[in-house]
Amino acid sequence: MRFKMYGSFRCRMVLLLLFLLLDCNFSNCLADTSSEATTHTNNWAVLVCTSRFWFNYRHMANTLSLYRTVKRLGIPDERIILMLADDMACNARNKYPAQVFNNENHKLNLYGDNVEVDYRGYEVTVENFFRVLTGRHENAVPRSKRLLSDEGSHILLYMTGHGGDEFLKFQDSEELQSHDLADAVKQMKEKRRFKELLIMVDTCQAATLFSQLQSPGVLAIGSSMKGENSYSHHLDSDVGVSVVDRFTFYTLGFFERLNMYNNDSLISLFSSYNPSMLMSTAYYRTDLYQRHLEEVPVTNFFGSVMEMIHTDSAYSLLSRKESFRVEIKMSADKSVPDKKRLMDNPSDLDQISELNIEDQHGALKRIWSTIQKEMEKVEDVDAFVSYGLVLIVPLLAVSMWLTW
Amino acid sequence: MEPKEQSKEKKEKLWFWNWLIASVIFRLVLIYFPKNLNLASRPEVSTPLTSLRRLAEGYWLKQLSVSPYAGSMYHGSPLLLSLLGPLTVKRIEGQPDHLLCSLVFVIADIVNAMLIRATGQNLQMEYIRSLKLLDHVKLLEKPGKIIPSGDIAALVYLWNPFTIVACVGLSTSPIENLAIILSLYGACKRQAPLAAFGWVIATHLSLYPAILIIPMILLLGYGPDTPPRKLFLQRRNVEVGDNPPNDRCCEREEVVHRPEVPHIFSWRPVIHFLCWTSLWSVYVLVLCGISVKRYGGLWELFKRTYGFMLTVQDLSPNIGVLWYFFAEVFDFFRNFFLIVFHGNILFMMLPLAIRLKHRPCFLAFVYIAISSMLKSYPSVGDSALYLGLLGLFVNELADMQFSFFLFCGYVGVSLLSPVMHNLWIWRGTGNANFYFATAMAYACLQIILVVESVSAMLNHDRMLRKPLTELQDGKS
Repeated sequence: MRFKMYGSFRCRMVLLLLFLLLDCNFSNCLADTSSEATTHTNNWAVLVCTSRFWFNYRHMANTLSLYRTVKRLGIPDERIILMLADDMACNARNKYPAQVFNNENHKLNLYGDNVEVDYRGYEVTVENFFRVLTGRHENAVPRSKRLLSDEGSHILLYMTGHGGDEFLKFQDSEELQSHDLADAVKQMKEKRRFKELLIMVDTCQAATLFSQLQSPGVLAIGSSMKGENSYSHHLDSDVGVSVVDRFTFYTLGFFERLNMYNNDSLISLFSSYNPSMLMSTAYYRTDLYQRHLEEVPVTNFFGSVMEMIHTDSAYSLLSRKESFRVEIKMSADKSVPDKKRLMDNPSDLDQISELNIEDQHGALKRIWSTIQKEMEKVEDVDAFVSYGLVLIVPLLAVSMWLTW
Repeated sequence: MEPKEQSKEKKEKLWFWNWLIASVIFRLVLIYFPKNLNLASRPEVSTPLTSLRRLAEGYWLKQLSVSPYAGSMYHGSPLLLSLLGPLTVKRIEGQPDHLLCSLVFVIADIVNAMLIRATGQNLQMEYIRSLKLLDHVKLLEKPGKIIPSGDIAALVYLWNPFTIVACVGLSTSPIENLAIILSLYGACKRQAPLAAFGWVIATHLSLYPAILIIPMILLLGYGPDTPPRKLFLQRRNVEVGDNPPNDRCCEREEVVHRPEVPHIFSWRPVIHFLCWTSLWSVYVLVLCGISVKRYGGLWELFKRTYGFMLTVQDLSPNIGVLWYFFAEVFDFFRNFFLIVFHGNILFMMLPLAIRLKHRPCFLAFVYIAISSMLKSYPSVGDSALYLGLLGLFVNELADMQFSFFLFCGYVGVSLLSPVMHNLWIWRGTGNANFYFATAMAYACLQIILVVESVSAMLNHDRMLRKPLTELQDGKS
């Protein structure tokens, strides 16, 4: 039994090595390997509403609706940066104080109990926006206001407000230009602050805002193309203003029927926009994005659904060598990109352990290490121990008979 | 005449077996009481080390691929977990819970009794042989026969309420006692592998039987309990003194004709014992290592079992004295007092070994009594063991002082201790001092028992010397 287990373990190791070699060659052929090499660690959302004043109610409703959707699908507040002027809910002109609706049926109060606004009022500036993206803050800025993403993060960047050809108006006093945005994204890529970035813009002439982007791993969709306006969906006569924009309305319509476990892909989202209903063309660019949109679930950006690796070992007690061995075993089933990072470490460890064995003097230590290696090869622990316990009785009888 | 004697002998043989079967039936009856009479929840019976409930929890954790030592519930051996764990899970319709485990403990008790009886018979043979060598005609022809100490000890062990309570109350003490008695039996019979196996398993299950290595070595080297060597030498001198000391070769012949008294320490059995100890320890360590290799390895195992025992991490009340003290000691002094308490056991080893080296079985009894008093989590199962072994020395300890006081004391403590516990925990009208008072009384009783039994044994040895000195005096 032991030889069979030994053999199967060896076979798996050989296959794994072959696989890794092939993957090595394959990934070397690709132009950009960096985004494939890291594992997807977490999801972030940066939701920006760039307007203020009562008549821009719908922009705040847009942002709050998307905030609610993203939270419902799993991203926690720690990983959402919400930038709002936040002057709607308690505005003197609001007939429904502390309530913000995105539909005239008033079914959903977006401004509920657990809205955490990170940048409010006059803090929503272009400078703060770029500081959030690039991570270059003053020392005193608290963690809740920072985008603490790492190189495995997927970031959703949603911007809504008034925009134009290659610009976006911020709070009626500044503008964000498309090359500045492209520059910021380039900085983010160099500092490895994201693995994949989805930019969603709901303004007039939205597609021009991301026309200057060049960084890989970025996917962008805008509600209208150059020369087109984006329109609001409907007017709420009770509140007195338009409460939602069309692009966001149909986006929310797509998400309302989803929950965390749905596998709907991005292509289904992007193709759900009907130009006649939107009264504009929703344009998206995928030239900077390697993966096929059919394979990417929407929860990769809009939710937080993580892959779970099940191990049998206790959490903090394993030695490093064993933990890597466990990971090698598990990753035989996992997808290709994850192996590259793990491959480097086991070979190093094996080399180190071999050196250690050679350096150690004394046959006793060598015997003990061989015993340990044999022990580690035992797969079915319980049966082995039971056999060992049962074997005690005949061993005892034999030993007593020998020394009678 | 003869058939009458034969029937009398048969009756005497049957007497022991009848009592044994009666005790087994009694245990089975108690097991069938609902919920084991709640004995398993008594702190006197189940400690963090011996509780079967904790073993079941450890086994359940292991089935969930979590370390059985996670969460500080189970602190025993992984081998015991593999042995008893599956039994705790099996439930039979209409039978009480843990029936299979209770049956295992009953069987362990029976085997203990048989082994104690065999050891007692061995010791008694040696005793009679030594008396014959010393020509203690008076003792051999005493009006009452020499009591069969093996049978008495076995029955004392079986019918001791402490043993019954430990067996029915689902604690693993019967198995620990089995290992210790197995090692003693093996050493008495000069079976080095058996003795080594018993010692290794006993140390593995609970750390304290490690101190029994000294009586083991003495048993294997010298043989079972005999009167002191001095007496044999004196006897020989007296005998030699009878004959005129002119004839040297005659003297030597006399010496040679006398049957050999083994006062030479034979090293061969001891070396065998040590070799077998190392072999069995490697075997047990390898098995344990494989059991726990995914949960942190042997070091983690030692930390969680022996480390737990030695550092007294669990301060729930029991019948010992350490919990009360370590609940109030300052952290700065904690390590110091741990060393003091455990050193207390170690300090007494050497003097006792020197004084009682001619009686290794009795030395083992004294060590067991001391360690069950000063160990970190004592229970009544430990007392069951040494009270049973006390029966082995019934003949020598016949003149023990305070025996009635001790008996009443044990009865009183075993009745008052649950009452005080109830007053403290359930009614709230008492406090920890009430319960600790009974624990202290219990410790005092144990101390008195040890002291009195050792002095009684030494008095017995002195008494053996008296006729010889009279003979010598008479001569000279």
